[in-house]
Amino acid sequence: MTRFFATIAALSVAVAMPALAQADAGAVAKAPPPAPYQQVSKLVKLPDFLPGIGELFVDPATLPAGPFLAYDHDGKLVSTIYMIPIKDMNADKKFDNLLQPGGDVDHVDIYFNAGHPGVEEPHEHIVLWHVPVADEASVEK
Amino acid sequence: MNISFFGMFRLRTKPASRNRMLRRSFLWGSGSLAAALSLSPGLAIGGPVAEIAMAGRPDGSKVWFDPYGVLIAPGQTVRWTNHDKANSHTATAYAPENDDHPRRIPEGAKPFNSDYLLPGESFEVTLEIPGVYDYFCIPHEMSGMVGRIIVAKPGETDFKDYPRGDLDDMVINGFPSIADILARGSVQVKE
Repeated sequence: MTRFFATIAALSVAVAMPALAQADAGAVAKAPPPAPYQQVSKLVKLPDFLPGIGELFVDPATLPAGPFLAYDHDGKLVSTIYMIPIKDMNADKKFDNLLQPGGDVDHVDIYFNAGHPGVEEPHEHIVLWHVPVADEASVEK
Repeated sequence: MNISFFGMFRLRTKPASRNRMLRRSFLWGSGSLAAALSLSPGLAIGGPVAEIAMAGRPDGSKVWFDPYGVLIAPGQTVRWTNHDKANSHTATAYAPENDDHPRRIPEGAKPFNSDYLLPGESFEVTLEIPGVYDYFCIPHEMSGMVGRIIVAKPGETDFKDYPRGDLDDMVINGFPSIADILARGSVQVKE
Protein backbone atom coordinates (compact mmCIF):
# COMPACT_ATOMS: atom_id res chain seq x y z
CA MET A 1 0.00 0.00 0.00
CA THR A 2 2.89 2.34 0.69
CA ARG A 3 4.01 1.95 -2.88
CA PHE A 4 0.49 2.63 -4.07
CA PHE A 5 0.10 5.86 -2.17
CA ALA A 6 3.59 7.00 -3.09
CA THR A 7 2.78 6.37 -6.72
CA ILE A 8 -0.45 8.31 -6.47
CA ALA A 9 1.38 11.13 -4.73
CA ALA A 10 3.96 11.27 -7.45
CA LEU A 11 1.26 11.19 -10.08
CA SER A 12 -0.64 13.98 -8.38
CA VAL A 13 2.43 16.14 -8.49
CA ALA A 14 3.00 15.25 -12.09
CA VAL A 15 -0.45 16.15 -13.33
CA ALA A 16 -0.93 19.26 -11.22
CA MET A 17 1.72 21.18 -13.08
CA PRO A 18 2.30 24.89 -13.01
CA ALA A 19 1.12 26.90 -15.97
CA LEU A 20 4.70 27.79 -16.79
CA ALA A 21 5.51 24.20 -17.67
CA GLN A 22 2.44 23.89 -19.86
CA ALA A 23 3.65 26.83 -21.93
CA ASP A 24 6.58 24.69 -23.15
CA ALA A 25 4.36 22.19 -24.93
CA GLY A 26 5.01 23.64 -28.37
CA ALA A 27 8.75 23.55 -27.88
CA VAL A 28 8.85 19.85 -27.21
CA ALA A 29 6.07 18.71 -29.53
CA LYS A 30 8.52 17.41 -32.11
CA ALA A 31 11.78 15.53 -31.69
CA PRO A 32 14.39 16.46 -30.84
CA PRO A 33 13.37 18.66 -27.93
CA PRO A 34 15.65 21.63 -27.22
CA ALA A 35 18.51 21.60 -24.72
CA PRO A 36 18.93 20.64 -21.98
CA TYR A 37 17.10 17.52 -23.21
CA GLN A 38 19.40 14.81 -24.55
CA GLN A 39 18.67 11.55 -26.29
CA VAL A 40 18.78 8.79 -23.70
CA SER A 41 20.44 6.33 -26.08
CA LYS A 42 23.32 8.78 -26.39
CA LEU A 43 23.75 8.89 -22.62
CA VAL A 44 23.58 5.17 -21.92
CA LYS A 45 23.62 2.03 -24.01
CA LEU A 46 19.99 1.54 -24.92
CA PRO A 47 18.28 1.18 -28.29
CA ASP A 48 17.36 4.49 -29.95
CA PHE A 49 13.75 3.38 -30.11
CA LEU A 50 12.23 1.39 -27.28
CA PRO A 51 9.20 -0.71 -28.28
CA GLY A 52 6.23 0.35 -26.21
CA ILE A 53 7.83 3.65 -25.26
CA GLY A 54 9.41 5.34 -28.27
CA GLU A 55 12.48 7.50 -28.67
CA LEU A 56 13.40 8.93 -25.27
CA PHE A 57 14.90 12.26 -24.29
CA VAL A 58 15.71 13.59 -20.84
CA ASP A 59 17.40 16.47 -19.11
CA PRO A 60 20.15 14.62 -17.15
CA ALA A 61 19.78 17.12 -14.31
CA THR A 62 16.31 15.75 -13.60
CA LEU A 63 17.35 12.12 -13.16
CA PRO A 64 16.16 9.67 -12.10
CA ALA A 65 12.58 10.98 -12.07
CA GLY A 66 12.59 12.86 -15.34
CA PRO A 67 10.45 13.91 -17.13
CA PHE A 68 11.45 11.69 -20.01
CA LEU A 69 9.90 12.75 -23.30
CA ALA A 70 8.91 9.93 -25.67
CA TYR A 71 8.43 10.35 -29.42
CA ASP A 72 7.01 8.10 -32.11
CA HIS A 73 8.70 7.19 -35.40
CA ASP A 74 7.50 10.47 -36.94
CA GLY A 75 9.02 12.53 -34.16
CA LYS A 76 5.70 13.34 -32.52
CA LEU A 77 5.59 13.60 -28.75
CA VAL A 78 3.41 10.78 -27.45
CA SER A 79 4.11 10.65 -23.73
CA THR A 80 5.90 12.13 -20.78
CA ILE A 81 7.33 9.55 -18.39
CA TYR A 82 8.50 9.76 -14.79
CA MET A 83 10.67 6.98 -13.41
CA ILE A 84 10.43 6.67 -9.66
CA PRO A 85 12.71 4.16 -7.87
CA ILE A 86 10.77 1.83 -5.61
CA LYS A 87 13.20 2.51 -2.77
CA ASP A 88 12.31 6.20 -2.97
CA MET A 89 8.64 5.54 -2.43
CA ASN A 90 8.68 6.03 1.29
CA ALA A 91 7.87 8.55 3.99
CA ASP A 92 11.22 10.30 3.76
CA LYS A 93 11.31 10.97 0.04
CA LYS A 94 9.17 13.05 -2.25
CA PHE A 95 9.34 14.46 -5.73
CA ASP A 96 8.08 18.02 -5.89
CA ASN A 97 7.30 20.19 -8.88
CA LEU A 98 8.28 17.78 -11.58
CA LEU A 99 8.01 19.50 -14.94
CA GLN A 100 5.34 18.44 -17.39
CA PRO A 101 6.22 20.25 -20.61
CA GLY A 102 4.22 17.99 -22.92
CA GLY A 103 0.83 19.70 -22.77
CA ASP A 104 -2.55 18.01 -22.55
CA VAL A 105 -2.71 14.56 -21.02
CA ASP A 106 -5.19 12.07 -22.46
CA HIS A 107 -4.68 9.24 -20.00
CA VAL A 108 -2.12 7.77 -17.61
CA ASP A 109 -0.40 4.40 -17.26
CA ILE A 110 1.56 3.29 -14.22
CA TYR A 111 3.58 0.11 -14.27
CA PHE A 112 6.58 -1.59 -12.72
CA ASN A 113 9.91 -1.70 -14.51
CA ALA A 114 12.74 -4.00 -13.46
CA GLY A 115 15.37 -1.46 -14.45
CA HIS A 116 17.52 -0.50 -17.40
CA PRO A 117 20.74 1.39 -18.05
CA GLY A 118 20.19 4.81 -16.57
CA VAL A 119 17.82 3.74 -13.83
CA GLU A 120 19.47 0.52 -12.72
CA GLU A 121 17.02 -0.51 -10.06
CA PRO A 122 13.37 -1.47 -9.85
CA HIS A 123 11.15 1.53 -10.40
CA GLU A 124 7.73 2.64 -11.52
CA HIS A 125 7.00 4.18 -14.89
CA ILE A 126 4.35 6.86 -14.62
CA VAL A 127 3.33 7.57 -18.18
CA LEU A 128 1.30 10.64 -19.13
CA TRP A 129 0.02 9.90 -22.61
CA HIS A 130 -0.53 12.90 -24.85
CA VAL A 131 -2.31 10.76 -27.45
CA PRO A 132 -5.45 8.59 -27.28
CA VAL A 133 -5.13 4.95 -26.27
CA ALA A 134 -5.51 3.83 -29.88
CA ASP A 135 -2.48 5.89 -30.88
CA GLU A 136 -0.19 4.11 -28.44
CA ALA A 137 0.28 1.71 -31.35
CA SER A 138 2.55 4.31 -32.95
CA VAL A 139 5.31 3.32 -30.51
CA GLU A 140 4.43 -0.34 -30.14
CA LYS A 141 7.25 -1.52 -32.43
CA MET B 1 35.64 3.22 -16.75
CA ASN B 2 32.71 4.32 -14.73
CA ILE B 3 30.54 7.14 -15.97
CA SER B 4 28.21 8.46 -13.35
CA PHE B 5 25.30 10.73 -14.08
CA PHE B 6 24.14 12.25 -10.84
CA GLY B 7 24.55 9.09 -8.90
CA MET B 8 21.66 7.29 -10.54
CA PHE B 9 22.61 7.30 -14.17
CA ARG B 10 25.48 4.86 -14.30
CA LEU B 11 27.09 3.46 -17.35
CA ARG B 12 29.88 1.07 -16.64
CA THR B 13 32.22 0.09 -19.36
CA LYS B 14 35.21 -2.16 -19.05
CA PRO B 15 38.52 -2.00 -20.84
CA ALA B 16 38.60 -4.37 -23.76
CA SER B 17 41.68 -6.05 -22.35
CA ARG B 18 39.71 -7.33 -19.39
CA ASN B 19 37.61 -9.55 -21.59
CA ARG B 20 40.13 -10.35 -24.26
CA MET B 21 40.67 -13.84 -22.95
CA LEU B 22 37.00 -14.46 -22.79
CA ARG B 23 35.90 -13.76 -26.34
CA ARG B 24 36.99 -16.98 -27.90
CA SER B 25 35.50 -19.33 -30.36
CA PHE B 26 34.79 -22.91 -29.48
CA LEU B 27 36.94 -25.46 -31.23
CA TRP B 28 34.98 -28.23 -32.83
CA GLY B 29 36.29 -31.69 -32.18
CA SER B 30 38.12 -30.84 -29.00
CA GLY B 31 38.40 -33.23 -26.12
CA SER B 32 36.27 -30.88 -24.10
CA LEU B 33 33.41 -31.23 -26.53
CA ALA B 34 33.59 -34.97 -26.34
CA ALA B 35 33.54 -34.70 -22.59
CA ALA B 36 30.55 -32.38 -22.69
CA LEU B 37 28.51 -34.70 -24.80
CA SER B 38 29.17 -37.62 -22.52
CA LEU B 39 28.80 -35.71 -19.29
CA SER B 40 26.57 -37.13 -16.64
CA PRO B 41 24.17 -36.99 -14.99
CA GLY B 42 22.05 -34.22 -16.44
CA LEU B 43 23.78 -32.40 -19.23
CA ALA B 44 21.03 -30.83 -21.24
CA ILE B 45 23.00 -28.42 -23.37
CA GLY B 46 23.54 -30.63 -26.36
CA GLY B 47 25.51 -28.38 -28.70
CA PRO B 48 29.07 -27.25 -28.46
CA VAL B 49 27.91 -23.79 -27.40
CA ALA B 50 25.52 -23.39 -24.51
CA GLU B 51 23.05 -20.68 -25.50
CA ILE B 52 21.56 -18.38 -22.88
CA ALA B 53 18.96 -15.81 -23.83
CA MET B 54 18.63 -12.46 -22.12
CA ALA B 55 14.89 -12.02 -22.04
CA GLY B 56 12.23 -9.72 -20.73
CA ARG B 57 8.59 -8.83 -20.88
CA PRO B 58 7.78 -6.15 -23.47
CA ASP B 59 7.02 -3.60 -20.76
CA GLY B 60 10.24 -4.31 -18.87
CA SER B 61 8.43 -5.43 -15.75
CA LYS B 62 10.36 -8.70 -15.58
CA VAL B 63 13.74 -9.75 -16.95
CA TRP B 64 15.66 -13.01 -16.80
CA PHE B 65 18.31 -15.31 -18.21
CA ASP B 66 16.90 -18.30 -20.04
CA PRO B 67 18.04 -20.81 -19.00
CA TYR B 68 19.32 -19.37 -15.76
CA GLY B 69 20.98 -22.59 -14.70
CA VAL B 70 23.31 -24.46 -17.05
CA LEU B 71 25.60 -27.47 -16.77
CA ILE B 72 28.57 -27.60 -19.14
CA ALA B 73 31.88 -29.39 -19.51
CA PRO B 74 35.31 -27.82 -19.04
CA GLY B 75 36.30 -26.00 -22.21
CA GLN B 76 32.73 -25.50 -23.37
CA THR B 77 31.61 -22.09 -24.51
CA VAL B 78 28.62 -20.18 -23.21
CA ARG B 79 26.98 -17.58 -25.40
CA TRP B 80 24.57 -14.96 -24.12
CA THR B 81 22.37 -13.16 -26.64
CA ASN B 82 20.09 -10.25 -25.87
CA HIS B 83 16.62 -11.14 -27.16
CA ASP B 84 14.97 -8.34 -25.21
CA LYS B 85 14.02 -5.69 -27.77
CA ALA B 86 13.47 -2.96 -25.22
CA ASN B 87 16.45 -3.27 -22.91
CA SER B 88 20.18 -3.73 -22.57
CA HIS B 89 21.70 -6.50 -20.49
CA THR B 90 25.05 -7.76 -19.27
CA ALA B 91 26.45 -11.13 -18.25
CA THR B 92 28.81 -10.23 -15.44
CA ALA B 93 30.59 -12.67 -13.16
CA TYR B 94 30.38 -12.20 -9.43
CA ALA B 95 33.89 -11.05 -8.60
CA PRO B 96 35.56 -8.07 -6.93
CA GLU B 97 36.87 -6.99 -10.31
CA ASN B 98 33.29 -6.33 -11.35
CA ASP B 99 32.25 -3.34 -9.27
CA ASP B 100 33.37 -4.88 -5.98
CA HIS B 101 30.94 -7.76 -6.04
CA PRO B 102 31.69 -10.84 -3.94
CA ARG B 103 33.59 -13.60 -5.67
CA ARG B 104 31.33 -16.45 -6.73
CA ILE B 105 33.45 -18.14 -9.35
CA PRO B 106 36.00 -20.92 -8.86
CA GLU B 107 39.48 -20.21 -7.64
CA GLY B 108 41.72 -19.44 -10.57
CA ALA B 109 38.86 -18.59 -12.92
CA LYS B 110 38.96 -15.24 -14.68
CA PRO B 111 35.98 -12.95 -14.11
CA PHE B 112 33.99 -12.14 -17.22
CA ASN B 113 31.90 -9.11 -18.07
CA SER B 114 30.07 -8.69 -21.34
CA ASP B 115 29.43 -4.97 -20.85
CA TYR B 116 26.04 -3.79 -22.09
CA LEU B 117 24.58 -5.79 -24.95
CA LEU B 118 21.99 -4.12 -27.16
CA PRO B 119 19.18 -6.23 -28.63
CA GLY B 120 20.64 -8.82 -30.97
CA GLU B 121 24.17 -8.59 -29.61
CA SER B 122 26.01 -11.59 -28.14
CA PHE B 123 28.88 -12.35 -25.84
CA GLU B 124 30.81 -15.58 -25.45
CA VAL B 125 33.04 -16.98 -22.77
CA THR B 126 34.81 -20.33 -22.62
CA LEU B 127 35.00 -21.77 -19.13
CA GLU B 128 37.84 -24.14 -18.40
CA ILE B 129 37.96 -24.51 -14.62
CA PRO B 130 35.36 -26.77 -13.00
CA GLY B 131 33.14 -25.22 -10.40
CA VAL B 132 30.16 -22.97 -9.84
CA TYR B 133 30.02 -19.66 -11.71
CA ASP B 134 27.42 -17.14 -10.53
CA TYR B 135 26.76 -14.08 -12.63
CA PHE B 136 24.35 -11.19 -12.88
CA CYS B 137 23.03 -8.48 -15.16
CA ILE B 138 24.35 -5.08 -14.07
CA PRO B 139 21.17 -3.03 -14.49
CA HIS B 140 18.93 -5.83 -13.25
CA GLU B 141 20.74 -7.44 -10.36
CA MET B 142 18.37 -5.81 -7.91
CA SER B 143 15.48 -7.30 -9.86
CA GLY B 144 16.94 -10.76 -9.46
CA MET B 145 18.34 -11.23 -12.96
CA VAL B 146 21.09 -13.67 -12.04
CA GLY B 147 22.29 -16.98 -13.36
CA ARG B 148 24.49 -19.93 -12.50
CA ILE B 149 26.74 -22.11 -14.60
CA ILE B 150 28.28 -25.32 -13.34
CA VAL B 151 31.35 -26.56 -15.14
CA ALA B 152 31.75 -30.24 -14.37
CA LYS B 153 34.03 -33.02 -15.50
CA PRO B 154 32.31 -36.26 -16.45
CA GLY B 155 30.74 -37.75 -13.34
CA GLU B 156 31.73 -34.83 -11.14
CA THR B 157 28.91 -33.88 -8.78
CA ASP B 158 30.57 -32.71 -5.57
CA PHE B 159 29.94 -28.98 -5.76
CA LYS B 160 29.30 -26.75 -2.79
CA ASP B 161 27.18 -23.64 -2.81
CA TYR B 162 28.67 -20.31 -1.76
CA PRO B 163 27.96 -19.21 1.80
CA ARG B 164 24.93 -16.96 2.15
CA GLY B 165 25.31 -13.46 3.46
CA ASP B 166 27.45 -11.92 0.76
CA LEU B 167 24.43 -10.84 -1.29
CA ASP B 168 20.89 -9.74 -0.59
CA ASP B 169 18.59 -12.66 0.03
CA MET B 170 16.49 -11.53 -2.90
CA VAL B 171 19.50 -11.99 -5.19
CA ILE B 172 20.63 -15.28 -3.67
CA ASN B 173 17.16 -16.71 -3.94
CA GLY B 174 17.34 -16.06 -7.66
CA PHE B 175 19.98 -18.72 -8.24
CA PRO B 176 18.87 -22.22 -9.18
CA SER B 177 20.13 -24.87 -6.83
CA ILE B 178 23.22 -26.87 -7.68
CA ALA B 179 21.19 -30.05 -7.34
CA ASP B 180 18.64 -28.86 -9.89
CA ILE B 181 21.30 -27.94 -12.40
CA LEU B 182 23.11 -31.26 -11.99
CA ALA B 183 19.87 -33.18 -12.29
CA ARG B 184 18.35 -31.31 -15.20
CA GLY B 185 21.33 -29.85 -17.02
CA SER B 186 19.36 -26.74 -17.88
CA VAL B 187 17.02 -24.84 -15.57
CA GLN B 188 14.60 -22.39 -17.10
CA VAL B 189 12.46 -19.57 -15.75
CA LYS B 190 8.75 -20.29 -15.58
CA GLU B 191 7.35 -17.29 -17.44
